[in-house]
Amino acid sequence: MSAEIELVGTFADEEGCVHGVEVLKRAGIAYRVFAPIPSEHLLHAIGRGLSPVRAIVLIGAITGVLTGVAITVGTSWEWNLIVGGKPVVSWPPFIIIMFELMILFGGLSAALSFFFFARMPQLDPIAGYSERFSADRFGIAVECDEADSARIEAMMREAGAEEIAHEDPRTVPVAH
Amino acid sequence: MAAALEPINTNPTYADIDRGVHRIMDPPGLMFWAWIAFCAALVGIAAALWTRQIYVGLGVSGLRQPNMWAVYITNFVFWVGIAHSGTLISAILYLFRTRWRTAVYRLAETMTLFAVLTAGLFPLVHLGRVWNAYWLLPYPNERYLQPNFRSPLVWDAFAVSTYLTISATFLLMGLIPDVANARDAAKGWRRTFYAILSFGWRGTDEQWRHFQMMYLLLAGLATPLVISVHSVVSWDFAMAQLPGWHSTIFAPYFVAGAILSGVAMVLTLLIPMRRLLNLEELITPWHLDNLAKVVLLTSLIVSYSYITETFITWYSQDQYEVVTFHARYFGHYGPLFWLMVWGNCVFPLVLFSPRIRRSTVPLFIVTIFVNIGMWLERFVIIAGSLATNFNPSQWGIFHPSITEIMITVGSFAWFLMLFSLFARYLPIISMTELKEGIRWLRQSLRDDYYPSIK
Repeated sequence: MSAEIELVGTFADEEGCVHGVEVLKRAGIAYRVFAPIPSEHLLHAIGRGLSPVRAIVLIGAITGVLTGVAITVGTSWEWNLIVGGKPVVSWPPFIIIMFELMILFGGLSAALSFFFFARMPQLDPIAGYSERFSADRFGIAVECDEADSARIEAMMREAGAEEIAHEDPRTVPVAH
Repeated sequence: MAAALEPINTNPTYADIDRGVHRIMDPPGLMFWAWIAFCAALVGIAAALWTRQIYVGLGVSGLRQPNMWAVYITNFVFWVGIAHSGTLISAILYLFRTRWRTAVYRLAETMTLFAVLTAGLFPLVHLGRVWNAYWLLPYPNERYLQPNFRSPLVWDAFAVSTYLTISATFLLMGLIPDVANARDAAKGWRRTFYAILSFGWRGTDEQWRHFQMMYLLLAGLATPLVISVHSVVSWDFAMAQLPGWHSTIFAPYFVAGAILSGVAMVLTLLIPMRRLLNLEELITPWHLDNLAKVVLLTSLIVSYSYITETFITWYSQDQYEVVTFHARYFGHYGPLFWLMVWGNCVFPLVLFSPRIRRSTVPLFIVTIFVNIGMWLERFVIIAGSLATNFNPSQWGIFHPSITEIMITVGSFAWFLMLFSLFARYLPIISMTELKEGIRWLRQSLRDDYYPSIK
């Protein structure tokens, strides 16, 4: 079913937006939230669970350690000479290289996986977005049929939306 | 206490925060460009002198036996140290959910990035044959020669380049929501510039969900990194046998010193910037007070380290250590040592006074002395220890040359130029995080700093 109308409710504060999310969630209506701040309350109310970024970071960090093992132990074996009475494979100093590469690979994995999961760079406009949502307002966008719009609008108003805009979702490509 | 503080809006709104930060990013005036031109001229002089040094040889630097490490390596350690407070404020205090960090962490992170960039130049400046710098990297070559991974200098190359990459990533990732805010408020070429840097951020719930996890993990990774980087820098010295360097307390001692110098530098930059750009509403006495407390705490830790270091020398009765430390306190570099003690240990004690912690001019003067003291600390350790090594026939006093002095001045100009340009074109204060913690800002201002205003 393709949506006929996009309702965009604007909320003045975090509490109102959290309330709006809870109302829509209870009614089983799909929605998208826009927020100018990283809000723990909002993410908790939406309840989509923890981001998979963490798994990618773990894989990246392990890859970093293994890369550290490969370049330190590997190159030492390649030029297999005892220098200064130290073992060819001297673990204590090599651990420093492994540690640094663990952080490097883990950190870069965090950034790259964030871009992947957040679908960025996002060059197309997102339906329902308003410039106020990066400044001082919170937004909830709902795609629905014309027939449902009055009911959903009433729910958002009751939750505390200060204004509700009607947009045509076909005028802007919907990102996700 | 309230009477001493300048009157500010104790009930800021989201719009007030946006207005305050957007005002910093207004097109700069002639004075700003004159300042940039002045810094660029000093950088140009330093670059010319470095070019001459590469052409003529390291002899022009004043480095000669036994002082083969001196001002350049002092600058390297100083700038790496300056970089540390950025990660402390942005990552460690983030993990502890410290509320006052929100207004100052972006500035500290920016300082970190440019300080590491500056620090990274000095090992190159110090190289006699700079065109061979890539030998530090493990690359496949025709003779199968690889770097010696047992060497602290190779650890350093890995640690500092990782730190540069991760702190740049941390800064750029954290900037995304704020740059999106700036994009939506800007016009013309700035809008395009901010649109590119924001990667199309719209602040959807999905974007925030992944962003917060990414940011938390980056903070978690950066925290042990910052401790490791200055520990590795300290091992450049501690792994050597030289009296004055060969000490097990160097790693924690250097990390504490790095945080002291870094937080002091944050205040040195913050206080004039706050006045020049009218940021009193955003960077409040609450923030200055807490930063000053960090300076005081780390100053006490550094003082304790100096005492411990002296105790270890006395208790060991190692004749070489005793001679080196005697020379450090009462020898040629003695006045520099006592100036360092004044700047790092004695003068910061005035910060026990809440009135001074909240007054910008005295606080600024304290931080300048800490900066001088921390630079001297590295110089006294490096040049002072090399000057009196095991064999008295090799002893020698180091005097910096004009090349070294001007390259040092150029490094400060380079840092300040990059920092100033960033501050005027990108959000130097995090709008999103300041808004997130607005409740705490209001509450703290009213309860602790402006109790008469209700």
